Amino acid sequence: MAKAKTTKELVVEPVFDNNPIALQVLGICSALAVTTQLTTSLTMAIAVIVVTACSSAAVALIREYIPSSIRIICQMTIIASMVILVDQVLRAFFYDLSKELSVFVGLIITNCIVMGRAEGFAMKNNPIASFWDGLGNGLGYGLILVVVGFFRELLGSGKLFGFSVLPLKADGGWYEPNGLMLLSPSAFFIIGIFIWVLRTWKPEQVEAS
Amino acid sequence: MLLENIKKNKDSPLNTAIVAGALCLVCALVVSTAASSLKSMQDANIALDRKKNLLAVTKFPAESFATSALVESTFSDNFDVIIIDMDSGEEAPDECLEAMKSIGKKWKAEELTDKYDQYLASKTKRKEVCSKIASADDPAGVKYREKFSYVYILKGEDGKPKNYVLPVRGYGLWSMMHGYLAIKPDFQTVEGLVFYDQAETPGLGGEVKSERFKGQWPGKQLFGDDGEVKIQVVKNADTSDKHSIDALSGATITSNGVTDAMRYWLGPQGFKPFIDRMKSSATTDATSSDQKETGARNG
Repeated sequence: MAKAKTTKELVVEPVFDNNPIALQVLGICSALAVTTQLTTSLTMAIAVIVVTACSSAAVALIREYIPSSIRIICQMTIIASMVILVDQVLRAFFYDLSKELSVFVGLIITNCIVMGRAEGFAMKNNPIASFWDGLGNGLGYGLILVVVGFFRELLGSGKLFGFSVLPLKADGGWYEPNGLMLLSPSAFFIIGIFIWVLRTWKPEQVEAS
Repeated sequence: MLLENIKKNKDSPLNTAIVAGALCLVCALVVSTAASSLKSMQDANIALDRKKNLLAVTKFPAESFATSALVESTFSDNFDVIIIDMDSGEEAPDECLEAMKSIGKKWKAEELTDKYDQYLASKTKRKEVCSKIASADDPAGVKYREKFSYVYILKGEDGKPKNYVLPVRGYGLWSMMHGYLAIKPDFQTVEGLVFYDQAETPGLGGEVKSERFKGQWPGKQLFGDDGEVKIQVVKNADTSDKHSIDALSGATITSNGVTDAMRYWLGPQGFKPFIDRMKSSATTDATSSDQKETGARNG
């Protein structure tokens, strides 16, 4: 294995250099579904960060005991338990948000990023490094979600975090909201533009043609 | 050491079984502890959310239910909660208490409106508290109908009822949609309809909670001249028609579920007996209906 990475590298690298959505193009489904508002995007981002970090650490903790024949299902069990935990906490403390997010919190289980980090990193590394790696990848995912949520809420309903920023024509202002931004396809456009910007800034991410 | 042994020989069938079993046990423990310890808070949230929806459907301004304390105070200041026997339409808190006792819920009289959940009562399938509906009479997929239902009465400034809110539900495409139908005291004009709990497809059937859909309901007429339930959700509805609501695009089954829920809950198995009783008492004379309202407050 290559030289062990420092904590900073583990956390920062997946945010820009190896972003799970922008470079690996994983976890797109939920990025489309929950990003019409910034609040839900942020909650979803935090939920995914917690789940990836904690489940990676837990998998790493017992990695030497997990029989290779059932390792995927063991990871899934841990991830699923973490997700249920997050869902229960949201329902107890942030009921309105959990209603908005509805099934998508549960669907974190199927988010390829979480599973990918458990299988690709946590199975070979110690719990602390795995925790930071999970955190970094969660952050990378969360960053995109928040960026997409920012543009969709701003352009789609003229608001940020539910507060009016661009006064809407319907309420006597000047801004005509772009309805497309409230529909899922707009997230594709924003993610596409994000990838374009990122690769212009870091040309090494462009795949060899 | 067992742990060392497992580590060395982790792929043996026995150790595989041990690890799988232990992992499941630990995860199950964590999940069930979390679920049961957070249950009371979640239940409180659900109860609060329902009150919030009751306030929203009767057009309270958003500021009046911005915090949980405000929700509770606005609600208790403005609403009377009564429990009726669905078959007779009469108020029946004592009978409800008795029926719940017979299935093992020993509540005090004053706890009844906090603890009674009519949907859960119908889920018990016990004949003391709910009755099975023949499938021919059950367009909305209710299956078991509770014998006792809440009716929420919004008091106007003069103390007279301003709105009646009836709990309704119907099956959409994926889920039971739970809602509140608020109607004016003429039992004909809709004040509003809100679905507070549903799991229809987000963006399609999930739009039942959208303002665009909800906004069509106020002012619509429930019954036709012949007394039949006429309100319906139809495709490309002529929105000037007093009985028609424009359906959700891409969500025919959800839209039909809403129509069916209206037909069922306003029909003879639903709130029809209650509505008839209220209507006839309103027409006899004003004094007697005043007395009824006092009774409602005491109940």
